[in-house]
Amino acid sequence: MFSRFSRRTFLKSTAAATVAASLPRLAAAQDKVIRIGFLAPLTGAVAAWGKPGLDGCAIWAERINAAGGIKLADGDYQVEFVSYDNEYDPAKARTGATKLIREDGVSFIMMLGGDTWPGVQPVADKTGMLFSTLLPSDLSPETTTLIAPAEVHPIYNVTGVEWLAENKPDLKTAVMCAQDDALGLPSVATYLAAFEAAGIEMLDDPLLFDPATTDFAPVVTRLIANDPDIVCLDTCYSDYVHPICEQLFQQGYKGQIISCTADFYDQMIAKTSEEFMEGFVFQFPDFDDPALNADTINFADPNGFYAEYNKRHPGQWGAVSWEYASIMDLWKAAAEKAGSADPEAVMAAMKDGGKGDHAFGQADWWGSELFGIDNALVGDWPVVVIEGGKARVKAFKSIPDWYARHGDLLVKHMTAYDQMWNQRS
Amino acid sequence: MLRAGIWILALAAFLALPHGLSFSQQEILVFLVINILLVASYRLLTLTGEWSLGHVVIMGVGAYASALYTKELGIAVPLSMLLGGLTAALVAVVLSFPLFRMKGFYFLIGSFAAGEIIRLLWKRFREPFGGAKGIKGIDPMPDFSVGFYRFDFFEPVSYYYFAGIVVGVCLWVLWRIEKSPVGLTFHAVHWQDKLAEASGVNLRAYRTLAFAIASGFAGISGALLAHYVGTINPNSFDVEVMVFVLTWAIVGGTATFYGPILGCIALTVLNEIVLRELGFEQMRPLIYGAILIASILFLPDGLESLVQKLLRRKAAPAKERVAE
Repeated sequence: MFSRFSRRTFLKSTAAATVAASLPRLAAAQDKVIRIGFLAPLTGAVAAWGKPGLDGCAIWAERINAAGGIKLADGDYQVEFVSYDNEYDPAKARTGATKLIREDGVSFIMMLGGDTWPGVQPVADKTGMLFSTLLPSDLSPETTTLIAPAEVHPIYNVTGVEWLAENKPDLKTAVMCAQDDALGLPSVATYLAAFEAAGIEMLDDPLLFDPATTDFAPVVTRLIANDPDIVCLDTCYSDYVHPICEQLFQQGYKGQIISCTADFYDQMIAKTSEEFMEGFVFQFPDFDDPALNADTINFADPNGFYAEYNKRHPGQWGAVSWEYASIMDLWKAAAEKAGSADPEAVMAAMKDGGKGDHAFGQADWWGSELFGIDNALVGDWPVVVIEGGKARVKAFKSIPDWYARHGDLLVKHMTAYDQMWNQRS
Repeated sequence: MLRAGIWILALAAFLALPHGLSFSQQEILVFLVINILLVASYRLLTLTGEWSLGHVVIMGVGAYASALYTKELGIAVPLSMLLGGLTAALVAVVLSFPLFRMKGFYFLIGSFAAGEIIRLLWKRFREPFGGAKGIKGIDPMPDFSVGFYRFDFFEPVSYYYFAGIVVGVCLWVLWRIEKSPVGLTFHAVHWQDKLAEASGVNLRAYRTLAFAIASGFAGISGALLAHYVGTINPNSFDVEVMVFVLTWAIVGGTATFYGPILGCIALTVLNEIVLRELGFEQMRPLIYGAILIASILFLPDGLESLVQKLLRRKAAPAKERVAE
C-alpha cells in the first residue's frame, strides 16, 4: 500500500489539497466582512452572563448574513464575531480589547461590563472604539464611547415591584439579600427605592453576603425569620438564586419571591416544586412568549430566535441570550443609517434624535442624572411571572414614567449606597 | 568573558522579545513579568517550609496601598510603588504575630483566613478602598523620554521595559538574599529546625523575616499591576488567583530559584496564548487542569527537574573528558 504512494502522487495530492483548501478562502475573500468584538466572561463564575450571549450572537449573525448582511455606503458586508474570554478580570479584559482592536480590526465591541470595564476604559479612551455594556453603572461623563443600549440594570427592577404592588396589594412587607459586589449593591438601592415607592415596608436591612458564600441555609434562615410577605433576591447570580430558592423551599417559605433574574428556572422548579415557584416574579422573558409578537417589539422574530437557540443549546436560555443580539440590531440599524462602520459615525447615527429602537419598543437615550451621561437606552421593560412552570410576560411597564414619579427615591438610595456616578472612586 | 557574553545576549533578548510578539502577546508579556516577581517572592517564603494561601492578598495590599498613596496623597508613582511594597511587608509583620503561632497545615489555613479578612475589609470600607468595585482611575506611570526612547506607558512595550527592569532588580535582590547566610538560615529553618534552634537561631524571627521580605516583593508586583491596569478590586486578589500561583510553583518546582519562574512562564504561555490560539478558549480550564494533573503524575519534581537532567547530561561528557 505504501509502495504505491510515490513522490509524484504525494506532490499531486498535496497540490490538489492546497487548491481545494484555498477555494473557500477565495470565496470568502470576495465577501466584505465586518468584525464585531465580543469581550465577556466565557469561563468562570460569571460565564452565564457571557457565553449564552455569544451563542445568541452566532444565530443573529447567521440570520443577518443569510439576508444579505449589513448594507453600508460602499457595499454589503457579512458579519463575523470575534470573541475573547476576559474571565471577568480587568487585566484580561484590557488584553482582550487590545487584541480585538489592534489585531482583529473589529468595528464595535460588546462587553458585559462591571469589574472589567475600568481595565478597558484607557484602551477605549486611546482608540475611540465604540463599546457597549450591559451594566450602565459603568457609565460616567468620561465614558463617551460606552453605551448601555440593551438593559439599564438595575433600574428596570422597579417595574417588577410596581407590578407586584398593583396586582398583589395585600403584600406589605419585604426582605432582601444580595451578594456584596458591583452588581448587587446598585440593585439593592433600586429595590429599596421601588419598595418605598410602592409603600412596602422593609422588615430588615438588606442582607449582604460575600460572593464566596456557598452555604445559604443560614442566610435564608435569617432572611425569613420575621415572616416577610416578599423575599427579594436582588440581582443574585444564578449560582446563588438556585440554592437560595432551594433553601426557601426546604425551610417552608410560602410567600412571594421577586428577583431580577431566574436563569434556568426549569432547574429551579425541578429542585423545588411547580407550586413553590408559582408566581415567582422576575424581569427576563423567554422569547417564545406571545407577548413579544406585538408590533411595538423591535427584536426580529423572537419566537424563531428562541426556537433556534433552544435547538442548538437546549436548556441554556438565560437572561443574556438575546441581549447582545438586540444590541447588534441597534448597531446594524445605526451603521446602515450612517453608511459606515466607523465607531464615531455609528454612535452619532445611533443617538440621532435622542431616541432609539430598543428590543422592547422605542426608547430614550437617558441617564445624565444617574450616570452623568445620556448613554443608556431606556423605555419599557417586561415583568415576567412563572405560571404553571412557564415564564410569561404579564406587562410591559415604563421605566421613565416610574422615574418621573419616584426618581428622587432612587437617587436617595443610590446615594446611600455610594452608587451615584460622582461617588464611584 | 563567557559570562559577559551571556549577559549581553540576555539583555539583547530582553530588549528584542516584545518586538517579535503581537499586541495582545505584548500585554500578556507585561502581566507575565509581574507574575514572575510574584511567584519568585512566594518561593522565598516556601524556603522556610511554610506555604501561604494569603500571598496574592498581600500582593493586593501593595496594589491598594500604592494606588491610594498616589490618589489620596499625591505621591509620585515610582515612589508609591516602593511604599506599596513596604506597606505589604509591614502588614506581613503584623500578621506574623498570630500566624507564626501555627505551622504547616495550620499556617496554610491561617494565612487563608487572614487573607480573607483583608479582602473583606477592602469590601466593607468603601472609603478609602472603594468597596466591592475597588479603585478605578489609578494614576499610570508618567510618560518620559530618555532621548533615544520615549516611554509611553499606555503601550505594553514601554511598561514591559519598565516592569522588566524593576522585576530584574527585585529578582537579583531575592537571589542575593537566598545565597546569603540569611538565606541559608531559611533553609535550615525548614530542613533542620531543631538543630537550627539548638544553634541559637530564632526560628520565629527568621520565619517572620522571610514572610516580610516575600510580602514586600509581592507588594511591589501588586503595585506594578495596579498602575498598569488602572483598576483593582477585591476579586483581583482572590483565592482563585492564589491557586494559579500555587500551580506555577508546583508545576515549576520549588527546589531551585528558577523553578517557579519556569512554571509561571510555561503555564501562562500555555493558558493565555497556545490554548487561545488553538481555539480552545472555553475549554481552557479543563485542559489546564488535565495538564496540571499530568505534570504532577509524570513530572513530580517539576519542570526544573527537566532542566537539571539536561544540565547533568551536558556536564557528564565534560567530566569524562577531564578524566581522560
